[in-house]
Amino acid sequence: MIGRDGWAGLVVLALCAILYWLTLGLKGHPLVPIGPEFYPRIVIGITAVLAVLLVAADLLARGKTPPARAAAKSNYALVASMFAVFGAYVAALPYLGFRMATVLYVAANAVLLARPRGALGWAKVLVLALVTATVTYVVFERYLSVLLPRGKWTGW
Amino acid sequence: MYELLGAGIADILQWKYLLPLFLGTLAGVIGGALPGVTITMTIIVVLPFTFGLDPLQGLAAMTGVYVGGSAGGLVTAVLIGLPGTPSAIATTFDGYPMAQKGEPGRAIWLGVWASFFGGLLGGVFLVAATGPLARFALQFGPWEFFSLFILALSMVAGLVESSLLKGLISGAFGLIVTILGGDPILGSPRLTLGIDAIEGGIQFLPVLIGVFAFAQIMADVEKMGGAARSGEALVRAATLAVSQLKVIWEILSRPFLLAWVAVIGVLIGVLPAIGGSAASVMAYDQAKKFSKHPERFGKGTPEGIIASEASNNANVGGSLVTIMAFGIPGDAVTAVMLGALTIHGIQSGPLFISQNPQLAYGIFAAYLIAHPLMVIILGLGARWMINIVTVPKAALFPVVLVLCVIGAYALSSTMSNVYVLAAFGLLGYAMVKFGFPLAPFILGVILGDQIEINLIRAIMTDPDPWLFLTRPISGVLLALSVASIAAALWQHYRHQRRTASSSEDNADF
Repeated sequence: MIGRDGWAGLVVLALCAILYWLTLGLKGHPLVPIGPEFYPRIVIGITAVLAVLLVAADLLARGKTPPARAAAKSNYALVASMFAVFGAYVAALPYLGFRMATVLYVAANAVLLARPRGALGWAKVLVLALVTATVTYVVFERYLSVLLPRGKWTGW
Repeated sequence: MYELLGAGIADILQWKYLLPLFLGTLAGVIGGALPGVTITMTIIVVLPFTFGLDPLQGLAAMTGVYVGGSAGGLVTAVLIGLPGTPSAIATTFDGYPMAQKGEPGRAIWLGVWASFFGGLLGGVFLVAATGPLARFALQFGPWEFFSLFILALSMVAGLVESSLLKGLISGAFGLIVTILGGDPILGSPRLTLGIDAIEGGIQFLPVLIGVFAFAQIMADVEKMGGAARSGEALVRAATLAVSQLKVIWEILSRPFLLAWVAVIGVLIGVLPAIGGSAASVMAYDQAKKFSKHPERFGKGTPEGIIASEASNNANVGGSLVTIMAFGIPGDAVTAVMLGALTIHGIQSGPLFISQNPQLAYGIFAAYLIAHPLMVIILGLGARWMINIVTVPKAALFPVVLVLCVIGAYALSSTMSNVYVLAAFGLLGYAMVKFGFPLAPFILGVILGDQIEINLIRAIMTDPDPWLFLTRPISGVLLALSVASIAAALWQHYRHQRRTASSSEDNADF
């Protein structure tokens, strides 16, 4: 029975196989005697060997591994939600622009992590979102001349 | 050297450099004091603020973060028994008990002044050693650079706490990231996976930001929503005032301890990926071994605090040596600093000091001046800093992630780096959950292009592969790589045997 490390090794091995297959289509340059596939194949080969060793180590360790202690309960649902909200923020940035997307993101993320209680709680979330977007915009774009994304739909 | 250092100090004391240095040190102290934030996260957050500054301003700010962060962790370590940064772990062993005995001011100021003196000793090494090491590295050809980078990767893979195999895979995975997108020799697209955004290659900064920020934040998020962790009792003190001269004398009257732990901090700082936490713990261990009263350790002895804090700040000096002399980052913090250099169009490596003396000596000066600034900030603010610990993570995390997005976007003013940030944030979290260390991965991403360039250059100069072994410096470096992997295997084998024999012993009962 393959364990977590074994699965990780198999995924890495599969990735190496795909990348190796892709190197078959690389074309060299007449002025450079060493082709663009030379170094990638070395790296892919070494990674594949290490991945095989990891799978083998996992299979060998299966019988010897002591029973695992019960792990502390982890809130993976919250982690997944955080990633989803962040993904939505990144997707929204080119369309809504930095300021609007950031207000929505900070508010959504803060609510996700700690649901506000009462009107005051919600007001704090709103203030946090507005202050974050405003201060970062002013500091970066106005003061530091670091341009921030503009929205295709909003124009700002 | 001294004229250049003097000129550097004169530069840094100008308001235009002193202000970013002060703000960086302040940010570092606050970030260091906040448990779970880490110096890496703080410097990642500060990075985008440096884009609009000139190189020395930006690097002064980052140096301030590094110095301030290494000391900031002692505040919460002493007052609530929780280290603000991993490098303050050993400070809790004696700092918190001393505070509980009614001497929180003495504990904090011992830590602050030990950080100050340890950091300055690290600075002496930084200024004295970097130039000669860089000049030595000028003798390097592509064979030597290739071997040096391989040594750095193998040491990192071997020195991290997880398995050697996973460390090596992690490093190799980092190298794989660098073969995607662009060929550094031909400058043409290679293995783009059909994604136009990575045709020029994948920049390491958004990878680094994504991997470290998300791994850290999501590790904390996992614990949220469950039973509240019972916190240590907050040490409440009416005042943290003590006789400064008395505290300083407590440290300086132990010159051998101070010097020895600073040496440990510096040497560990030079080695890649080990970091301040190992320096702090090893120095504590050494201090206990050489103490006349080892039984007092863990109960509030000043030597424990001095050892931990002096070494973790000296560690910063050591880390800066490798990046300044060789262009190899010793840890994630110096990796971000390397990124800042790249953003400003400055090439790191052995020629950095000779080609950019004003900048290099400005960094040395910033490092030295950051220490008195750190003392002032901690002296004025230690008492109030405890309030910062109560900032809710629900407010902190979204703000940190927004700053990470700004940092990634600002690199090229396109969304491609933000997508890279998001993708590698997910990958970094997955790597942590599967037990793959991040340090070798990041070092692989940073060094991958240079490894390829130097390998190809070496072969094109002379196709004889034995030159990697027969050229003395290259041969020694490769032998050290093999030795470091062998040492890691031996450590692993010994640990396995100890674990096996202790479980047999337990079975007897």
